[in-house]
Amino acid sequence: MLANLRTGQRMDETIKAIYRSHFEGLCWYVMNNNGSRQDAEDVFQEVMVNFIELVQKDKFRGEASVKTFLFSLNRYTWLNELKRRGRALVREEKYERGQDRVELDTSHFIADREGKAEVLRVVGELGETCRKILLLFYYENLSMKEILEATDYETEQVVRNKKYKCLKQLEQMVNANPALKQTLKNLLHG
Amino acid sequence: MDNSTPDMPEKLVRYLDGELNEDEKKIIEQQLNSDSVLQQEYNSLLATREAIRHYGLQQQVDAVHQHMMGEFQVPVKKIGSKRRIIRNAVAIAASVLLLVAGYAAFNFFTLSPEKVFNSNFRVFELTTVRSDGAGETAAEKAYREKNYKEVIRIHDAGEDHTRKGEFLCGVAALELKDNKKAITCFTEVLEQNKQATVPILNDETEYYLFLSYIRDRNYNAAIAIMEKIKDDPGHLYHKKVTSKLIRQVKLLRWR
Repeated sequence: MLANLRTGQRMDETIKAIYRSHFEGLCWYVMNNNGSRQDAEDVFQEVMVNFIELVQKDKFRGEASVKTFLFSLNRYTWLNELKRRGRALVREEKYERGQDRVELDTSHFIADREGKAEVLRVVGELGETCRKILLLFYYENLSMKEILEATDYETEQVVRNKKYKCLKQLEQMVNANPALKQTLKNLLHG
Repeated sequence: MDNSTPDMPEKLVRYLDGELNEDEKKIIEQQLNSDSVLQQEYNSLLATREAIRHYGLQQQVDAVHQHMMGEFQVPVKKIGSKRRIIRNAVAIAASVLLLVAGYAAFNFFTLSPEKVFNSNFRVFELTTVRSDGAGETAAEKAYREKNYKEVIRIHDAGEDHTRKGEFLCGVAALELKDNKKAITCFTEVLEQNKQATVPILNDETEYYLFLSYIRDRNYNAAIAIMEKIKDDPGHLYHKKVTSKLIRQVKLLRWR
């Protein structure tokens, strides 16, 4: 599973497997600590993104079990959200039945939620064509030839030039936003 | 290589994309080590690529998330009209059953020997006693005047141990809520009737005797008499002793 996440192979199946194995347990934790079902779903989604990024950056190598690590991420994310909402921290927070109470300090792994939302907003502001080409190249790891087949461009060179311009355009948008740049730096280096 | 050459930004992107050959790669890495401005430019590209990757991952997880939330939901099956009718009928039947069970439970928990006794006890009218033609006795007089203690006193003093006297003793004792005394007196009436050629007040005595047993919580004795009355269509109180009444007394055994 970790190998798949690290290499980006069979990502959908792997993420689904994690949902099937761990969603209900972590959902239970949030719902038993002042959270709604919707809260639990949102937190788990956030945890999944964090977890995959940590695995891909080799910050998690299986030192603790995936279950324990996900539980720690989930707990930290949810308690942070409670604080953000201005609620008193639930001192008698309830733990999942059978959950080994392994305390992992995962706080330093998690970049701020607002910063990440800003990343999504800025990339979302990029034109659809640019976003598509950059995602195909940098996220899906497709070659120029494969991108050519997925787009209406005439040659690979045209695609390459377009991709270059799009990257530069996004770079400018990032550089114009120091807070965003810091968030990305944190994401890169943990 | 001069950092200011026009093709430098493009070359830095090609380095980012892993498209340089080994020689080009070595040269640019040396420049990155020695040129902080170039390093900043490269860091800027890394941050930009990270933004795209984060966006892509978020989109992918979001899509899987939506799929999984659908999978976790309990599927709602569409049912045909025939099945809907059956389902509604079952639901109605279940509701009716629940109401009946609730009513039965209510009756069970509110049932008491006093309740059964009071709903079946009628004050005995002395005119019936006088119908056998006997003259009015002191016990009769006291009973008519509702002086039940005097009726008991006369009985206990041994002044009137006739069947009529025993019977009045029984009903007077019931009025005074002395169940044991009532049972003793009524039983004596029945015993004397067994020896007599013509029994008197036998049906009345049986009726008031089983009521006495009920209030005394001796349900088995009460049920035995009630079932005898129920099985005898010629009994004076045959219509009063219904199956429902017997069922109520049987239920009292479990209270």
